[in-house]
Amino acid sequence: MKKITALIIILIGLSGTISAQCDSLQANRYVTRSTTYGVGYTNILDTYLSPQEYTGIEGRVARETIRMTKLFNGHISLQNFFQANLSYTHNHTEDNNTFAGLVNWNYGLHYQFRINENLKLLAGGLSDMNGGFVYNLRNSNNPASAKVYVNIAASGMAIYRFKIKNYQMVARYQANVPVVGVMFSPNYGQSYYEIFTLGNSDGVVKFTTLKSQPSVRQMFSLDFPICYSKLRFSYLWDIQQSKVNQLKTHTYSHIFMVGFVKDLYLMKSKRGNPLPENVRAY
Amino acid sequence: MKVKEYIKYYIIRSITFCFLLLSLSSCVEEATFSNTPQGNFEELWKIIDEQYCFLDYKEIDWDAIHTKYQKRISADMTNEGLFEVLGDMLTELKDGHVNLYSANNVARYWKWYEDYPMNFNDSIQRNYLGNDYRIAAGIKYKILKDNIGYIYYESFSDGIGSGNLDEVLSYMAICDGLIIDVRNNGGGTITNASKLAERFTNEKVLTGYICHKTGTGHNDFSEPYPIYLEPSNSIRWQKKVVVLTNRRSFSATNDFVNSMRILPLVTIMGDKTGGGSGLPFTSELPNGWNVRYSSSPHFAADMSQIEWGIDPDIKVDITTSDFNKGIDTIIERARTFLKE
Repeated sequence: MKKITALIIILIGLSGTISAQCDSLQANRYVTRSTTYGVGYTNILDTYLSPQEYTGIEGRVARETIRMTKLFNGHISLQNFFQANLSYTHNHTEDNNTFAGLVNWNYGLHYQFRINENLKLLAGGLSDMNGGFVYNLRNSNNPASAKVYVNIAASGMAIYRFKIKNYQMVARYQANVPVVGVMFSPNYGQSYYEIFTLGNSDGVVKFTTLKSQPSVRQMFSLDFPICYSKLRFSYLWDIQQSKVNQLKTHTYSHIFMVGFVKDLYLMKSKRGNPLPENVRAY
Repeated sequence: MKVKEYIKYYIIRSITFCFLLLSLSSCVEEATFSNTPQGNFEELWKIIDEQYCFLDYKEIDWDAIHTKYQKRISADMTNEGLFEVLGDMLTELKDGHVNLYSANNVARYWKWYEDYPMNFNDSIQRNYLGNDYRIAAGIKYKILKDNIGYIYYESFSDGIGSGNLDEVLSYMAICDGLIIDVRNNGGGTITNASKLAERFTNEKVLTGYICHKTGTGHNDFSEPYPIYLEPSNSIRWQKKVVVLTNRRSFSATNDFVNSMRILPLVTIMGDKTGGGSGLPFTSELPNGWNVRYSSSPHFAADMSQIEWGIDPDIKVDITTSDFNKGIDTIIERARTFLKE
């Protein structure tokens, strides 16, 4: 009983501590984190596997954190965006299928232009790392195509806050365009056997530009409160294209996603954790 | 302050420039043909024209082939009729690696063995293997009465592990010589063939070269890339070996024979191999039919072509009289050779 009383006192004390800190809260420690899940339509072309396009369903999960930094007097925000998708697609005649998957990680900075209290425009750059595959279930010595590419991407974003009655909504549009990068691609008629078993890797890593990789990832999201939570609906229009080693690829995805958004405040542990160890979860 | 303004200006200009460039660049699409008899004909012709690797070596005028078979294409032809015409067009390539697959048929060119003696009979082979032969993964093996080891590898699609080969070669260690029979082995995975071949060399040897197409032109090829056979770091055979071949020794088996024939203790015996030195790729027509074609040519160590097959060191055919007696002339000749 004494322990429970002590715990209650500590928690009451902790709430007081947090309230007392409000005046000194730092913007760079606020983190907006979201996890969303989605499904949609995708169209895949990879001429290493087939000249025909494959269309079908795609599932995707995305996790994003965004927070301010202290850079440029607090005008720079940091975005960390991770997404992974799997798709199952079919040819026009529905007698062959492909599986495809891609893991994408964007990490970078945006300069925030605060146009007014409700509207912000963001511009910056991201590192754009990708790894995945397309697997054709019917092919012989060209059954799959590996996707590995890394880019420096230009990124623009618009964030608009508005209210409908008493509900605070946040709409966001973002577009990322890879500007320069490096991509793995087999040569035009080269087998993976020749590359990986025999070791002939000449020309399989190529520099890419907007011309050889005219891609763009676009996202529109809408955050709105539900009870004590914040719900996010988003639409992703993901266009990944390449023309490397005379091989053409594209993946056009239209994905509708839903998930929750959390606002977190980071505490530095080196100053001591405000919660005693014997009552912490970890 | 000036620096900050400059950075803002630079960022906005850069991003605007990127989006402008992106909007100007077109979608990455592949020009395909409609799912009509004409469209499927054109697609197949284009796939071979741009990706088949032996058009010039075989001196095939592919434009003339288009003209020849275009006459047989009509808008109202049936699927069966279209399949026949496209299959006939592909036989012009005279390549066992070229096939057209529909839901109910496979177009193929098999004259590379159909027009030759079989030189193998599995009923006669049973006279040698008996019923008490051993099996290790894809290999059947037995020690024959005259203390000659006999290994039959029916397909390089059947995997073989290092442990399997250790067991087989340990068991055969007492033998005076070894027969490796790859007759009727139509190929499979090249790495399985290499795994077996590396048990018969004590040093790294150049066995051939490989090229790949670098573009759509008939002569757009990469520089030849050397292929080496490296000795196994496990049990290696140190006595005489005879590799038995016939016309159905094709594709990866052709590569196996190409590697083995270089090794000093190895003799190739039987009939010429079937060839098939082009690594096959697969593509697809608008109507969903699959097409397989040679994409990447392998060459011998002297850069000669092995697409049409490899001659044996000792040519032996199964004679009619032996055949009638249930005797495999080629196995018998190999046994005699190994005992010499």
